[in-house]
Amino acid sequence: MSEILTKPTEKKKKKSTAISDVRYGCAVGATNTVVAIKGAVPIANCSPGCQLKTTAMLTFENGFQGSVAAGGGNMPSANSTENDIVFGGIKTLDQLIKSTIKIYDGDLFVVLTGCTGELIGDNVPDLVSKYQKAGYPIVYANTAGFKGNNLFGHEEVVDAIIDQYVGEYKGRKKKGLVNLWFETPYYNQNWRGDYQELARILRGAGLEVNVLFGPENPGVEAWKKIPKAQFNLVVSPWVGVRNAEHLEKKYNQPFLHIPEIPVGEEATAKFIRQVVEFAGIDNKKAEEFIKQEASIYYYYLEHFSEFFAEYWYGMPSEFAIVADASYALAYSKFLADQIGLIPKRVVITDNTPEKFRPAISEYFKNNISEGVSIDVDFVEDGYIAEQLVDSVEFTGGKPLILASSWELTLANKKQALFFEITTPSSETLIINRTHIGYRGALQFLERIYSASVGGK
Amino acid sequence: MGNLRQIAIYGKGGIGKSTTTQNLTAGLAEAGKNVLVVGCDPKADSTRLLLGGLAQRTVLDTLREEGEDIEISDILKDGFKGTRCVESGGPEPGVGCAGRGIITSIGYLERLGAYTDDLDYVFYDVLGDVVCGGFAMPIREGKAKEIYIVASGEMMSLYAANNISKGIAKYATQGGVRLGGIICNSRNVDRELDLLKAFAKELGTQLIHFVPRDNIVQRAEIRKKTVIEFDPESAQANEYRQLAKAIENNKNFVIPTPMTQERLEEILVEYGLYD
Repeated sequence: MSEILTKPTEKKKKKSTAISDVRYGCAVGATNTVVAIKGAVPIANCSPGCQLKTTAMLTFENGFQGSVAAGGGNMPSANSTENDIVFGGIKTLDQLIKSTIKIYDGDLFVVLTGCTGELIGDNVPDLVSKYQKAGYPIVYANTAGFKGNNLFGHEEVVDAIIDQYVGEYKGRKKKGLVNLWFETPYYNQNWRGDYQELARILRGAGLEVNVLFGPENPGVEAWKKIPKAQFNLVVSPWVGVRNAEHLEKKYNQPFLHIPEIPVGEEATAKFIRQVVEFAGIDNKKAEEFIKQEASIYYYYLEHFSEFFAEYWYGMPSEFAIVADASYALAYSKFLADQIGLIPKRVVITDNTPEKFRPAISEYFKNNISEGVSIDVDFVEDGYIAEQLVDSVEFTGGKPLILASSWELTLANKKQALFFEITTPSSETLIINRTHIGYRGALQFLERIYSASVGGK
Repeated sequence: MGNLRQIAIYGKGGIGKSTTTQNLTAGLAEAGKNVLVVGCDPKADSTRLLLGGLAQRTVLDTLREEGEDIEISDILKDGFKGTRCVESGGPEPGVGCAGRGIITSIGYLERLGAYTDDLDYVFYDVLGDVVCGGFAMPIREGKAKEIYIVASGEMMSLYAANNISKGIAKYATQGGVRLGGIICNSRNVDRELDLLKAFAKELGTQLIHFVPRDNIVQRAEIRKKTVIEFDPESAQANEYRQLAKAIENNKNFVIPTPMTQERLEEILVEYGLYD
């Protein structure tokens, strides 16, 4: 026996670090965070494939969202090659910055350095500081892919802009003004519609909302306004918490962290009350808004309830979800707590930092809905995610699977109702869509039950 | 090209790799062999004695200044007795990636046809330790199949030699690279010959030649010459000829068995180095 044990084949198997079926881009994909700020221009300091792939992953094969201004195919990129690695890429980057400033009428330029420049130690801060000293609105972010995914990159870019562009502020804070830190632009595929709905809700509650990304972002002036806000509101299980902590130290600005994006009337009303209480503003306007929105919401829901009670065929009673932490948590809560569907598997794929995992697990275990509890899995690898969902024995009609395009074949095998809610999504086109708040929840129901009645 | 032997010389920085390589290649050239020496060190001083000075532009300088459209004659110069000399060079200190530069240079040499059929030997003179994959390039992908490590009886040189052996052992399983022996470039340390013999034995290899210390080497270097060119009749010139001959006739190629730190220190203690 002991002889057998010493054979090399008996060595402990190492866990593979390979990931199949990726569901995020690398850190340099945070160029898209810059694109989401009006007037801001990303400068991608990386190899050509890096930019192409992250942009394809986050904006194209993710609901074909497209891009604006200096995004997508217009994005300035160093397209670093072997010469830039051997001799250093600073000269190429310098030329790229010069050309970009000449061509783009940008209000803010953000240099994002990928693996190649970071590996060989190009002194990008030194180069960028020359432009800063010359008065150009330009910042740099260390977004090497080996350091993390596009969510990590997003947080890096936010801190870079705060530190190098927004700068110091010692003035007064404005009561009722809130900075909204929310979904990751482009990565969260409904982000544009979601930002609009959440901003609408916060305004309805009587707050002045500083929208930093997306259609309602007025431009870089919103970023200059950050230090003036009364507080920062982070609506996400973990993305943005690091930035809010940074702002707390930098500007002595408190923050409210709400991990759950509200979906549906009940969750949204609770959300509004929580924010209003934290802000310490008069709740009269908020309560009126809640009342008004509830009356509209339930007007529609009453119509829906007739269908819900009468329709017998192919209705889901259980669901599985494979997505990033924010959508997985928000949608699971709504489906379990408001629609009465049972979560059978929840797989979170965004490489949630370890320190946030216990709280998220706890939420799914004890806060998802009364009498409902599930152990959540944090898995980035598509093969394991597929095994986890495949091993579920769904009962009672058609299951509902909310996931990415990678799960399409599996959903067919499980004879499930299926739709894409996370990247990659290659069978969905998104212009303005939301599944959150009051209005988005109704759209979400439309989507699920259109699938139930056989619609596309 | 069937009989071409590609040899890489490694060893601790300052141990005398370049001096030894050039003197021994001078010995091979004198014996009628066609030799190409490729300096794989950003300092670009691996061919100075063969060329009579830092007489040529490096591959990377040429690439940087002229772009990719370069000729073999731009980077390859003939030195003592027809030895062909190339310097890979590197980026400016503190900038870029010198290791990747070595890979780029060797790639260019291949594309430009530096490895002609009439060559008997290619020597790669590689800087210091194998600090990263770039500097391991000559022993990767089956380029150099023979390695010699230059060492002395000084402790740090043996540490480095042991580490280099670890690198060789790593590549030996995939690329077929083998250790041909240890060359002692003597520093006149006590019991140096015994120590080096014991060290080589522990690595599973041989001490292929013991080059005694002689100031004639320095005198020749000041005149930008190998000892064989500077004073062909000297005893030291004969030492290098013997080293060349030993390499020419060498049949002892092994996958080295590097030591643990503890074992290496035991040997050093045994041969009185810690006294």
